[in-house]
Amino acid sequence: MKIVVAYKWAPNPQDASVGVDGAVDWSRAKPGISEYDPVAIELARRLAEATGGEVIALTAGPKSVDASMARKAALSRGFDRAVIVADDALEGAGTTELAAVLAAAVRHIGDVDVVITGDSSVDVGAKMVPTVLAGQLGWPAVAEVTAVSGSDPAAGLLRVERAITGGTQVLEITGPAVLAASTDAAVPRVPGMRDILAAGKKPVETLEVPALDVPASGTTVTVTATARPDLKARKGQLIDTADPAAAAAELVAALRADGAI
Amino acid sequence: MSINIWIVVAGDPAVGNLIDTARSLGGQVCAAVVGSRVVADTVAAGGVDKVVWFGEPGKAPVEAFATAAADVIEATPGVVLGASRASDRVLLGAVAARLQAPVLTAPSSVSAEGDTLVVTRSIFSGIAEETVTVSGPVAVVLDGGPIPVANPAGGSALMEEVSAVTLGMTVVETHSSDFEQVDLGAAPRVVGIGRGLKAPGDLAMIEALAKASRSEVACSRPLAEGLDWLHKDRYIGVSGQHIAPEVYFAIGISGQLQHMVGVRGATTIVAINSDPNALVFTEADYCLVGDLYSIVPALTDALR
Amino acid sequence: MDFELSEEQLLIQEMVREFAAAEVAPIAAEIDRNHRFPEELIPKLAEVGLMGVPYPEEFGGAGADYLSFTIVVEELARVCASTSVIVAAHAGLAAWPIFEYGTPAQKEKYLRALATGEKLGAFALTEPGAGTDAASGKTTAVLDGDEYVLNGSKIFITNGGYADIYVVTAMTDPDRGTRGISAFIVEKDTPGFTVGEREHKMGIKASSTTPLYFSDCRIPKDALLGKEGRGFVIAMETFDGGRVGVGAQAVGIAQGALDASIAYAKERVQFGKPISTFEAIQWMIADMATEIDAARLLVYRAAWMKDNGLKYGQEASMAKLFAAETATRVAGKAIQIHGGYGFTESYPVERAYRDAKITEIYEGTSEVQRMTIAGNALRKHKATK
Repeated sequence: MKIVVAYKWAPNPQDASVGVDGAVDWSRAKPGISEYDPVAIELARRLAEATGGEVIALTAGPKSVDASMARKAALSRGFDRAVIVADDALEGAGTTELAAVLAAAVRHIGDVDVVITGDSSVDVGAKMVPTVLAGQLGWPAVAEVTAVSGSDPAAGLLRVERAITGGTQVLEITGPAVLAASTDAAVPRVPGMRDILAAGKKPVETLEVPALDVPASGTTVTVTATARPDLKARKGQLIDTADPAAAAAELVAALRADGAI
Repeated sequence: MSINIWIVVAGDPAVGNLIDTARSLGGQVCAAVVGSRVVADTVAAGGVDKVVWFGEPGKAPVEAFATAAADVIEATPGVVLGASRASDRVLLGAVAARLQAPVLTAPSSVSAEGDTLVVTRSIFSGIAEETVTVSGPVAVVLDGGPIPVANPAGGSALMEEVSAVTLGMTVVETHSSDFEQVDLGAAPRVVGIGRGLKAPGDLAMIEALAKASRSEVACSRPLAEGLDWLHKDRYIGVSGQHIAPEVYFAIGISGQLQHMVGVRGATTIVAINSDPNALVFTEADYCLVGDLYSIVPALTDALR
Repeated sequence: MDFELSEEQLLIQEMVREFAAAEVAPIAAEIDRNHRFPEELIPKLAEVGLMGVPYPEEFGGAGADYLSFTIVVEELARVCASTSVIVAAHAGLAAWPIFEYGTPAQKEKYLRALATGEKLGAFALTEPGAGTDAASGKTTAVLDGDEYVLNGSKIFITNGGYADIYVVTAMTDPDRGTRGISAFIVEKDTPGFTVGEREHKMGIKASSTTPLYFSDCRIPKDALLGKEGRGFVIAMETFDGGRVGVGAQAVGIAQGALDASIAYAKERVQFGKPISTFEAIQWMIADMATEIDAARLLVYRAAWMKDNGLKYGQEASMAKLFAAETATRVAGKAIQIHGGYGFTESYPVERAYRDAKITEIYEGTSEVQRMTIAGNALRKHKATK
């Protein structure tokens, strides 16, 4: 099987700072493999180990996603090779644009059986790239996937388990398909020493957006304002806890006075 | 708004918020409904102008209708609203791809100015907000809201049944989990616990507080995903539940952004943490700096 | 000069941290308390390639440099000194002389098994009456036909009882002092070779430290490692690398104690303020952080020199001496910052304090390091005159 994992090289918003005007300063936020992507990689490796075949890393973003450390960090996670769309035109690209670029890259790779992604990216967190990617390709998509196996890989049949409200469901899907892993679908394995040392030697194909067939959007989106989120004003009232019983009584009285309990 | 407004429905009629939002924009509201006839009827009676229904799904999961939904909406593209649930996102994603329409998530307000859509939304896990104006087809992901109440005047939208070519997907097994289902979103009070809790055995102390305060118990991500002390349904945060109870007790929670975005809607936040520098205190109404193991039992007693 | 780790070294550091947090940290306190050798960790360490870090891939190793190995030992020691000792004695002491001096057949048979982690190794030099003074060793090896016959005993052998492969020194020519020492590879279960009771130690309690007994233990002639009479040189060269490993352990123990102290100081409130706001605590933290950094630089430099084929014995001694004493000092301050709690098993710093002490003792006490360092310094001074 040819398995693609679409991952993101992104910083954590927790480490960014936001100005009063809502401008986000990412300079102190170190990018890394996005939080949930190792789960997707683990599902992909298990599928590859069970069915044979290769696991290809795919990412798209500004040039920084093709930095040597970014490549090695991804390839040390057990990929056979990587396809990286690195183009500064993708700085701040929206969901649909990013998904369109990824879809074009999947077509460029060719004969892909399944694309697996993480639940959401650590920075944007929209949970929409995998489903728009599937839409761009015209493939089935499933989110909250907890396990995947090839029920009949030769026939392109995938057996996919996913979490639903109050339980789980098993689907049989005629591939190719896009699967978004649930955040706890698998415990990702730690990269091995050899994986790390071999990471720099694995094949990487770097592409720019013009080399791909990416459809344009007819919609214009204009940012007219940014702001720091308008957080609810909180009282910030400190309750002395030297005597826990007195503190508890004071809190309960305050909550009652507020009509909160 | 004179452009088309669509809502996509993926088997779950809890789309009241989508209908309300669509209505507030003015103009015709059409719903593309995947799911059983009951779901289609519920949506049709809930205040939309027209329903396109794809027929009984049988063994096909709702996701199998993604292409069909895109086909229908492509004929009259416009603003497309969908709920943030997993299956709804799949349908909306297929539509957005077909229209090459941008996707906007986490809006706090959606309004129309002529044929322009104005959306204010939270970005980057809630650290900032932006307001955008959009001309052209666009997909917006919102909280689905409750099941719409049937129009009291009676009457129902026009229902058009279309036959759909589905994607090759079949449901072969469905299992219900034996976990106690919890609706954190509906709970008036929630006790949230984090890494400050030292051992799973200490949950009994937390449950006593929950009982005394008539609260549901929730947690930050590590307790549900790393430690497995609570079921994932009870995890609050950026990729978990978002709640807005009357009171949220944040116990042993450091207040990382990823957790706090899920509770910012709470009317009152009480924080108990031994670290006076804990971020949680910057977003709390009542701050108790101290050992949760002495404060929680005292609070439980005081509430009894 | 370049003080940056390579991208691979940074990724290795990150990986070991991730591994240690997931696999080692959860059991560190328990295995210490119960003196339990963590047998279940060995296959896990092997799986990610941490049992053969500095050996070539052709022998089943990871093919990394010695600095990477140093980083691995440091990061393991940061959460569990016992685990780091097991790995360091295995890969740093047992496997190294086989890699350096083994015949192709010995490398194929023993180095591969060690580097893949399939088998565990130990190195045995010290005897009841011969610590640093190896020349007074009493264990003998006498050639008898196609076999050497070993008699005598060894003491304080790390991984004793759990190791499958032992590199053992013995006198082949007692009249020649250190030049009469030879090194041998002895497999466990060889008739005449027995392992004694585990020592009850004040620190690194989860590691195994035992005596070894040889009583007419016959090993094949080709178990000789290197040439006859080269055993002391082999041991000393092995210990040069070993000292870098102990230095790395010490840095890791110290860093772990500092991490715990900073977390505690920010959390612990006295007089209405976290104690991290008090100058007395801040000064301790400043000294701890600075000394650890200095120790780390010495250790990394020694590893770097080894990687670059430079003579690094003096630098290894300096690194080991300074890092070991830093670890003891830092762990002591860590307990002081924790106050009464630090004196209990509820916090990891009492374990760090107990674990730190051994780094001042094994693979040459601080006094021996000073002798070596002073000797070299004095010689060098004469040479430049």
